[in-house]
Amino acid sequence: MKISAGLPTGVSAALFDSAKRRRRLEARLSALLEERGFAEVLLPILDYFEPYRPLLTGRRLEQLYRFVDRDGQLLVLRGDFTPMLARLLAPHLDELELPLRLYYRGDVVRHQPLRPGRMREYSQLGAELLGGDEAEADERMLTLFFDLLLKARGEAPVPGDGEEHALRVVLGVAGALDEALLAAAGDREASDLALRIASRDRTAARRAGLAEVVERGYPTDLSVLGGFAEAVSDLLELRDRLAAAYRGLGIEVEVDLAEFAAAALDPRIGVGEGPRGYYDGLMFAAYAPGTALALGVGGRYDKVFRSLSGDCSAVGFSLGLDLLLELGAAEALP
Amino acid sequence: MITFGLPKGRNLGPARASLAAAGLNLDGLDSSRLRQRFPDQNLLGTPVEVLLLKDWDLPLYVEHGIVDCAIVGSDVLEETQPDVFRPLQLKDGRSRLSLIAETPDLPKRSGQLRAATRYPAWAARLLAKRNLHVEVIHLTSSIELGPLLDLTDVAVDIVQTGTTLRTHDLHEVEVLARVAPTFVVNRASFHAHRRRLSGLLGTLEETETGGD
Repeated sequence: MKISAGLPTGVSAALFDSAKRRRRLEARLSALLEERGFAEVLLPILDYFEPYRPLLTGRRLEQLYRFVDRDGQLLVLRGDFTPMLARLLAPHLDELELPLRLYYRGDVVRHQPLRPGRMREYSQLGAELLGGDEAEADERMLTLFFDLLLKARGEAPVPGDGEEHALRVVLGVAGALDEALLAAAGDREASDLALRIASRDRTAARRAGLAEVVERGYPTDLSVLGGFAEAVSDLLELRDRLAAAYRGLGIEVEVDLAEFAAAALDPRIGVGEGPRGYYDGLMFAAYAPGTALALGVGGRYDKVFRSLSGDCSAVGFSLGLDLLLELGAAEALP
Repeated sequence: MITFGLPKGRNLGPARASLAAAGLNLDGLDSSRLRQRFPDQNLLGTPVEVLLLKDWDLPLYVEHGIVDCAIVGSDVLEETQPDVFRPLQLKDGRSRLSLIAETPDLPKRSGQLRAATRYPAWAARLLAKRNLHVEVIHLTSSIELGPLLDLTDVAVDIVQTGTTLRTHDLHEVEVLARVAPTFVVNRASFHAHRRRLSGLLGTLEETETGGD
């Protein structure tokens, strides 16, 4: 058998300074998490495949590296921390004192086509808050998300034109456009319309009466969102509070329902956008100028626990450490 | 500053004309230079940089954030499937992707048909949707030679005016998809320049009466 000196496609080694930079960033972020009362959990790299069938969408299931071990068990390499943590905690919810604040760091692997900046092994750091008042938990976790982004950037001043160079956090609600999509396109076409809106297709949006959603992120008349109007109204208030708190610190906040249009909850739409497939409430993502991918994503995922026969509210997020390092986060650290 | 990626070659003219019609004037653009700056752009309220790149490379530069936005053929987007926003299709330069054969109907064959195309992934998807089980052969140019020289039974290629087909006595058996120059934007750039790009896209949408 011929073995090349290189590594398999989509993975890389961190040697010398790059290893030091990554550990330094991890330490900095972990310190903030510990300060806020989050306890670290260490999760295994291997798990059974079967428990993930109800938890992950089709695309995400396809991305799992799976194999049969010597005992004939179908196993997977860790492709995501959140569902693993949920499935381990769900049977023990009665014994746990909620709210529970947990964080993790480590690598996940996913088999996916290689795209710019997209590896098959990622290094992540994330946090989860289980239980407690939902609105309060959402705001608390978003604030933590913002603070970790600032901490990763070393709280360095934003260079040049503030608005252009700021980090952007976009907020949305899973399923918020479902009723509007179904009303505009019917059961058969709603899924295609959801993907077009997510791609910011102005022509499709205008025809569906959702032009404002792709232009400014949400409709002026929230009643077109039907049962989701109140949730989006609350989200706009949350955005205003966060924008006021982080103004001048280099983070811009916006509500953008189009960003999460494909994260539909209604089974008639059933797009189930890959990595965001398990969210069922607040959703958020952070972007930096000139990057290919989101620096971090998160949201509320109560339905994961429901599908595991557990009753627990849950909100969390993960940050891509490789992406933060690519942005030069660690250099900015004192 | 906003960086635009525009296609080198014959697609540059229509792309530039669409932007000019929307008020983004790129007077003095030198098609032989890779990178050029246009400091005064009142329409966007920020300087504009233009990079002239090959059609097939543009999606990669947009996805990676090297350029904020670009005008790329939807054929290239369908084949390469980049993770970019596609807010608008332009009117000028539209064409179609068609199934082409030496006969007006699909040739009958007991085995699997063979198709020559420069879009192997997209053609395979479109043909599978029609329950046509076809062996797709990737060619990079002169696709019509596939059926003409008996390399393949059919070709799947762009048809604009039909002149090439008539010249070679070929038939357009079926239109598989419509193709249009498409304005694409990098995800992060969309959020960073939302207000500025929204203005440009709104004007472009008004001038491009063609819609979908």
